[in-house]
Amino acid sequence: MIFASLDFAIFMVVFVAAYWALPRRGQNVLLLAGSYVFYGWVHPWFLVLIAATTAVDYGAALGMDLRPARRKAFLWLAVAANLGLLGFFKYFNFFADNVAAVLAMAGWHVPKPALHVVLPVGISFYTFQALSYVIDVYWRRTPARRSLIDVGAFIAFFPSLLAGPIMRATTLLPQIERARRFSAPAARDATLLLAWGFFKKLVIADNVGVIANKVFALQSPEFYVLWAGVFAFGIQIYADFSAYADIARGVAAWLGIDLIKNFEHPYLAKGPAEFWRRWNISLSTWFRDYLFLPVAYRISDRLPPERRLRIDAATWAYSGGMILTMLTAGLWHGASWNFVIWGAYHGVLLALARIVGAMRKRRRRTRRWLAPLQIAGMFLLTSLGWLFFRETDLAQLVRHLGLSPFESTVLGRRTGAYLFFLALLYSIPLWVQSLWVQLGGRDLGAAMVREEAQPVPWVVAAQALLAGLLVAGILVLRSTTSLDFIYFRF
Amino acid sequence: MSESRVRLRRSAALLAVLLGAVLVPLGLRAVNRAVRPPDAAPSYIPSIESPRVRAPFDSDAVASLREAANDYILIGDSMAGTRIDPGHLSRLIGGHGAAALFHPGSGPAYWYLAFKNLVINAGLRPRVVVFFFRDENLTDTLFRVYPSALDRVAKNQEPVLDEILAARARGAFYRLHGAIRRAYQYDQTRAWLEPIIIRAPVAWSAARRARKTLLDAINNEVFTLEALRPMAAADMAAPGGEALDFDRLLPTSVLPEILRLSQRSGVRVAFVRVQRRPAADGPAPQSPALQEYVRKLRAYLESNGAIFHDDWGDPDQPLSVYEDGDHVKKAFRQAYTELFFRKNPEIFR
Repeated sequence: MIFASLDFAIFMVVFVAAYWALPRRGQNVLLLAGSYVFYGWVHPWFLVLIAATTAVDYGAALGMDLRPARRKAFLWLAVAANLGLLGFFKYFNFFADNVAAVLAMAGWHVPKPALHVVLPVGISFYTFQALSYVIDVYWRRTPARRSLIDVGAFIAFFPSLLAGPIMRATTLLPQIERARRFSAPAARDATLLLAWGFFKKLVIADNVGVIANKVFALQSPEFYVLWAGVFAFGIQIYADFSAYADIARGVAAWLGIDLIKNFEHPYLAKGPAEFWRRWNISLSTWFRDYLFLPVAYRISDRLPPERRLRIDAATWAYSGGMILTMLTAGLWHGASWNFVIWGAYHGVLLALARIVGAMRKRRRRTRRWLAPLQIAGMFLLTSLGWLFFRETDLAQLVRHLGLSPFESTVLGRRTGAYLFFLALLYSIPLWVQSLWVQLGGRDLGAAMVREEAQPVPWVVAAQALLAGLLVAGILVLRSTTSLDFIYFRF
Repeated sequence: MSESRVRLRRSAALLAVLLGAVLVPLGLRAVNRAVRPPDAAPSYIPSIESPRVRAPFDSDAVASLREAANDYILIGDSMAGTRIDPGHLSRLIGGHGAAALFHPGSGPAYWYLAFKNLVINAGLRPRVVVFFFRDENLTDTLFRVYPSALDRVAKNQEPVLDEILAARARGAFYRLHGAIRRAYQYDQTRAWLEPIIIRAPVAWSAARRARKTLLDAINNEVFTLEALRPMAAADMAAPGGEALDFDRLLPTSVLPEILRLSQRSGVRVAFVRVQRRPAADGPAPQSPALQEYVRKLRAYLESNGAIFHDDWGDPDQPLSVYEDGDHVKKAFRQAYTELFFRKNPEIFR
């Protein structure tokens, strides 16, 4: 089921009404059943996979608790099962294609095994969410749960099931386990967040997405046309993905559950590390905690302590760990070389930023006037990354990188300028919101207020007006081309 | 203040925001009254559209068709456009040749209006009018009902098409959609606001002299069909379920009306189902439901005096002649035109 559909609207109204009429145990059963209905709506066979994941992770965590001597074996069993399923459904064709290509280069023409399997939507997200549970149980950060219903509801929690945010067992499971109380102030904030999320998706992302799709459908776009398309894609992917996260948080808040904020105005970042603290926060912290830190510590342990090239061992360990982590993060996004390149690019950016930072540590001073330049510079670097991300054809990618601004025709320049300004125009609300927050205004996506002494009338009136304006904006400016959420592919 | 009173106030505040989301957009009605262009007129398909400014009917097309008095007129979308070379076909058939009314991104509503208003009601009497379509397109009345295309072939009132569209849009979803549209009149706002948004960046992108033609140049010179890269996945969505229930769809399609016009005017009609992109090892896969749909479509058309030709499974159209999606390569266009001529003796008798 997708959020922007009549099916979901009806589902949500019925679900919320039933949910608050039930006691806590009933709510959790309903949460699990509703999540399965939501997930299996189009392809019921997807449910087999998520049920299998749930059974394995529930059993493995319980096994660690009951047989402490075999904790490691249970951990590896769960990790192998989770990554095995993910790998099979997501990477089989990629692997087979590349093996066949390598064999062909060696003169062996082996027919590729064709596997026409639909990639189960959301599998990358719920697999990581499930893995966080077993790993945290292994690390004794959280106890193994006895209730299969609660673990099932945690893994299949429908608001964030298809495209995150990836919740941790330590954050979401306790909320599922405790009694929840309907909070009118939180529902009010959530309503506004839902309106903003749908506006971002249907008005901003889908309209600029049409521009990006048109440019990337061209065989030989000129320099300015291409980069206008890349700019449009940068807006599209942010508006699209953050819209999903906002809608997920809004829906969850109506159920009395807080999901973490997945985006923190990433295009205001002044450097690569800050960008990743603001972009897809749940995924980047997942990789940080479960891959980067263990890898970086391991590298650090094995490196001799002396400095090399005036750089200390910790910085080298950080850089190595970061490049490996970002390569994996790139591959997580999809079974395609362009995602690997994108991940490697960000890994190198992060490593370079760290190395340069370590070398200049002593001379570092705060220069406020530099901030806008740093933001603009990071935006350009991010945009170059989006070119790697969006262009799946490597031959085309090489061609794009060789384009010169001086070889563009007058029409090419004008078309590029037109597409750039059109994308900018559609995204004005996005920039205004970021600027508003930068100037100290309240973020629409800020934490939901659960308790308030009394509603302030002018705040309520402003919220009602804003919600109405957003709905009016959706009705009038909604793109006629409805695009899927980009992260459904991952 | 007591806890219950605070709770009441919180609930009232939530209700206020929910009402705001529903009621504030009603302000669009007032905005429309103040801003609506004076030349906005009721739509020719009022069942699915509010009053708006429409593009004029293409009377030049009628005039040139009258002048050419072609023996054959071909109607379709880019599937036909990438396959048929009208000049080459005219050379093959001789006489008064063939004219093409191909509009990329068009659907059955456009094809019906083009047939009715540019051919039959314009007094033209070609020997055969040929419609090109894919799979279930002919009975999918709501497929590509795009005003920008329809305006050029629609008269100020199109009661028959409107009735068909209204009948097709009778489900719960469409009823709800229609009710929201009538309540908020958002499509009227869109009709004047969207062109402003589309045109605004022109002023920032080009010198004053070039502004007038910039959008046309972008559409006609930058984003042309020839400039696109091959995309195997383009426009390949396969129909299924209710979309293939021929008996259910027929009464709410333009097909009976096309046949009625054909019989009334004596202009024979032919329908060519173009082949979708084949698989590497054979023709495009067809579900049993699609096969049954095509069987019924053929029987219906032939029993009503129309000609039906199915390209599906044609060994002369292997995967190698395809470009992007269901489009064929430009280099294959003349060859397809010849195939079409050769394999349809009934049309070109």
